[in-house]
Amino acid sequence: MSILGQNFSRVDGPAKLRGSAQFTGDIEMPGMVYAKVLRSAYPHARLTRVNAEKAQKLPGVVAVLTRDDLKKMNAYFGPVVKDQPVVALDRVRYVGDIIAAVAAEEKDIAEEALELIEVDYEPLPAIFDPAEAMKPGAPILHGESARSETRLDRDQFHFEKNSNVLSVYHASQGDVALGFREADEIFEDVYSSQKIQHGHIEPHAALAYWEPSGKLVIHTSTQNPSSIRAQLAELFNLPQSKVRVIVPFVGGGYGAKVHPRLEPLTATLARKAHRPVQWVLTREEVFLTAHCHASVVKIKTGVKRDGTIVARHVEGVYDTGAYALTGPSTIKNGGEVSGGPYRIAHQDLTTYCVYTNTPPTGPYRGFGVPQVCWAYESQMDDIARRLGIDPLELRLKNLVEEGDRFVTGDELVSVGISDCLKRAAEAVGWQSKQEQQDRELRGKMRGKGLAVMIKTTMTPSNSSALVRLNADGSAVLLTSSVELGQGTQTSLAQIVAEELGIVPERVSVTFPDTDVTPFDQSTSSSRTIFTMGSAARQAAGQIKQQLMEIGAHVLEANIEDLELREGNLQVKGAPEKRRTISQLFQAHYGAAVGSMAGSYDNQTRGGIDPKTGKGKASAFFFLSACAAEVEVDSETGKVKIERIVSAVDAGKAVNPRQCHMQNEGSMIMSLGSALFEEMVFDNGQPINATFLEYMPPSMEDHPRQFGSVLVETPHPEGPYGAKGVGEAALGPVEPAIGNAIANALSGLRIKDLPIRPDRILKAVQSTKEESQ
Amino acid sequence: MKIELRTVINGREVEASVKPNQTLLEWLRDDLRLRGSREGCGVGVCGSCTVLVDGRPVSSCLMLATNADGKEIQTIEGLAKGDELDAVQQAFLDQQAFQCGYCTSGMIMAAKALLSSNPTPSEDEVRDYLSGNICRCGTYQEVMAAIRTLAEKNLANR
Repeated sequence: MSILGQNFSRVDGPAKLRGSAQFTGDIEMPGMVYAKVLRSAYPHARLTRVNAEKAQKLPGVVAVLTRDDLKKMNAYFGPVVKDQPVVALDRVRYVGDIIAAVAAEEKDIAEEALELIEVDYEPLPAIFDPAEAMKPGAPILHGESARSETRLDRDQFHFEKNSNVLSVYHASQGDVALGFREADEIFEDVYSSQKIQHGHIEPHAALAYWEPSGKLVIHTSTQNPSSIRAQLAELFNLPQSKVRVIVPFVGGGYGAKVHPRLEPLTATLARKAHRPVQWVLTREEVFLTAHCHASVVKIKTGVKRDGTIVARHVEGVYDTGAYALTGPSTIKNGGEVSGGPYRIAHQDLTTYCVYTNTPPTGPYRGFGVPQVCWAYESQMDDIARRLGIDPLELRLKNLVEEGDRFVTGDELVSVGISDCLKRAAEAVGWQSKQEQQDRELRGKMRGKGLAVMIKTTMTPSNSSALVRLNADGSAVLLTSSVELGQGTQTSLAQIVAEELGIVPERVSVTFPDTDVTPFDQSTSSSRTIFTMGSAARQAAGQIKQQLMEIGAHVLEANIEDLELREGNLQVKGAPEKRRTISQLFQAHYGAAVGSMAGSYDNQTRGGIDPKTGKGKASAFFFLSACAAEVEVDSETGKVKIERIVSAVDAGKAVNPRQCHMQNEGSMIMSLGSALFEEMVFDNGQPINATFLEYMPPSMEDHPRQFGSVLVETPHPEGPYGAKGVGEAALGPVEPAIGNAIANALSGLRIKDLPIRPDRILKAVQSTKEESQ
Repeated sequence: MKIELRTVINGREVEASVKPNQTLLEWLRDDLRLRGSREGCGVGVCGSCTVLVDGRPVSSCLMLATNADGKEIQTIEGLAKGDELDAVQQAFLDQQAFQCGYCTSGMIMAAKALLSSNPTPSEDEVRDYLSGNICRCGTYQEVMAAIRTLAEKNLANR
């Protein structure tokens, strides 16, 4: 292997550094008009009147879309359940819910037209707290919604009826009551996490138009062209072949762009306008479009005096907002691993997906796992402290190992988690018992903390790849994987190049275009390198086989004695006996023309039974660890991260630098949500929905000592052993920082995220009062 | 109503009429089709729309196009000379100091401004100066490394 494992320079570098990389909002079409939308001012209300007559008459307005326009189509969409209308029908469910849309020649005119739309509301009681929403008698947000049929995991959810609880995940093993009876110590805690913005700097954008033949074309900033195509086809009763989704560069997604957001409305408005319609969100609108599920996690754990965890009971409530999006999938993902990466004989795990009158959520890097990891890993340090065991030792004692049967029923393979933990701990100079000593006694409020994480990936899922080798020895990979910053075009080019024995510079990777590129489930769940990478490898492998067969004939050699290297097919150990790819084409076709194609449809199999929560939950498991060292200012409550290191089991790093950058990005993102990021609402009204008031971490927040470690435990089904890394590092960051703070504060525990200075000061104050 | 203005953009004189409420960013993107500068927040804090006005970094989403009258504007499109990248672009390429690329133009323009006013910035100065350029992909370490290599070169050439 010569190309795999190399830090090959990114193929998208020149375009991005010159400013010429094209994002959706950069595309224009002749005759294009601009969309703006009218949003609800109420968190929950019946719409008694929507009148757009005046708006329609404003010069420059091309079309106004209201509920009256939805009568001849399926009004609802959604990836799991179809609960979200293109524009509101009878009622609005959050501040920012869309009531009407205008397409106009100029953006100013569209804005002006919105003010002419008359809306009468009849306010309804609203609920913002999932605990309230779960109580009997709470106002119900949704009736029964139709299920979406296009998801491979559609049978894995347990839905509730006539309730704000949309779905429940439950799994258990052993006898948890017995486990608690056997325990020497029992720990019971409640941890909470906040609503977080994805903060992709490119706001959502889409551009739609209808061809005269009746075909819908949409350019969109999405992570998931196949989901957009399927849902638009369902919305308009079109065959999928009549919906074309094209995705240029995407300016960050982190989950927020995984399922339809702007696309249904943009397409519907374009149909009415008979013109191409562009819709680009403002930053304030992005805040109203997607965010991370806030959560409350109750966790009860029974341990033996020697540190063996014997029983764990978890109940996690996730606030999915006003519409489901992938909520049921998120809470399933969180629930499956809510017991943590530990061997625990008795477990009972439940998670709930709950509607509230707040903006819709959706996948967020980590997909439901950071919420439970925050709970179990914070509690783990409290256990260590009370038992007088080093937190590193306590974890190592209980961690899962190769071949273990996980609570979901999966057999764990490629399990490098102990190595991840040891190497992260080593990187911050972890010194076992000494780390338990009270920092205050040393005159400095400094502490270190560790955490580990396990996460599943979307299973089952499909990825298809098509590779075309040209007669000049260059190749094209046709793929629907989205380049959203993670470097997927580069790493996939490396895989094809490795297989065909050519340099990656000679491989071109397409952007997704559903008319041309084969199906891919989604560029999410950090699944691309594992699932699409395998498909690309197999597709290229078919061409390799074809070249070998031609070469065996030409060189009069056995196939097993041949190899592809540096653009040549040669006899192993006798490189003078070789042919270039062009020469092989010549031998096969009579001239160096034409192409050879290989294609592969890859499916990872599995899924869980919604009744038991068990089955094959994941094609592979993400395993990671984080170690942090902090200093706490006891006067101001401010936390400074002195050192932070994440370690991730990558299986095999196809492009190590890109893997490190995924880890770094995960760490930066998560230190923001650990310490300060938080969406704030007052009775459903967003309070800080701009980057002035909600600021993601900047370079000034970047820790001075900042590291990433890659552990490589090859996975038998990953290409060359590779597993995904995109979000693996994120989960353990918050609890590692929380544990470091607790360590600095002599065990004082903050259980609510973010760990703001005022929370630290309040906690310090209350312990002082207790001791007086 | 339109307002006449004269300016120099990336070394070329431009005469145009703009709407009084049009921002510099809108004018660059919509009228001049210079789309390397991009809107991220619309309130001047994320830095992805950073351009240089008379050599100083400006959030073009906050500045009115009319205020560019008589001034010299440099955007990301004006940095490379044909096939040859500007030294800052080259350093970003060498360090792979980008991911999704959406904030990159603004980040490079801010780095350019920093290095022209202070050719050998310390790490603290880099952090302070670029704190108004947000990269949600978290590429800060590589951006700092790119600027460090340029600062080291500048120090050696003193």
